[in-house]
Amino acid sequence: MKEILAIIRMNKINQTKKALIEAGISSMHARDCLGRGKGLVDVQLLKGAEQGYEEAISQLGNTQRLISKRMIAIVVPDNLANKTVSVIIAANQTGKSGDGKIFVLPIHDAVRIRTGELGNDALDEA
Amino acid sequence: MLMIRAIVRPEKVDVILEQLMSEGFPAVTKMNVSGRGKQRGIKIGDITYDELPKELLMLVVPDADKDLVIGLIMGAARTGDRGSYGDGKIFVSSVDEVYTVSSGIRETNAGTQEVSL
Repeated sequence: MKEILAIIRMNKINQTKKALIEAGISSMHARDCLGRGKGLVDVQLLKGAEQGYEEAISQLGNTQRLISKRMIAIVVPDNLANKTVSVIIAANQTGKSGDGKIFVLPIHDAVRIRTGELGNDALDEA
Repeated sequence: MLMIRAIVRPEKVDVILEQLMSEGFPAVTKMNVSGRGKQRGIKIGDITYDELPKELLMLVVPDADKDLVIGLIMGAARTGDRGSYGDGKIFVSSVDEVYTVSSGIRETNAGTQEVSL
């Protein structure tokens, strides 16, 4: 089992939910959070900083603002992890900084509390 | 890659974020949470507070940076000289893959590659 933790733009949540349902992945958990990424919007600045220019790095360091984001968590069987990731990317990609990040974490076990089912049986997507 | 989740005092968040930023870890996600620890909350008179407000900081770092980041958070989150109850906890878990939505770049322990949908 894999947990897909995606941090996305606030205004993309409805599109993402729709896209996931269309792909057959219906169960999810969402919550609000605040976050920051590399702390910039300028692509050239980023490039400069990556190449190690002091000037660019010092400009990146100034921002400290946290931006409102939505975090969604979905636990899926191993074989659906790649599909889920590509659905989320397709629904959220604008190509600009701030589109978000997706983390894929291993999950040891899952339990459905109502019935006590374990492992893949406890997940909605087979 | 490793995910570091730190549950810290709300008033310490600014210091920690500043520390992380200055050491080159700008990317952080912050959430409001409430919780209790093994002291079972705080008892003041007859009233027990067992849902104490805390902040959850989440960041994903390369394996090699784990100790540095944990050291930074721990140094900034402690109250007093030796720390005190309620300063929080740090959890570390493994992350298989990291995708950047805007560029579609996939990062794993093995390296970075661009993926097509």
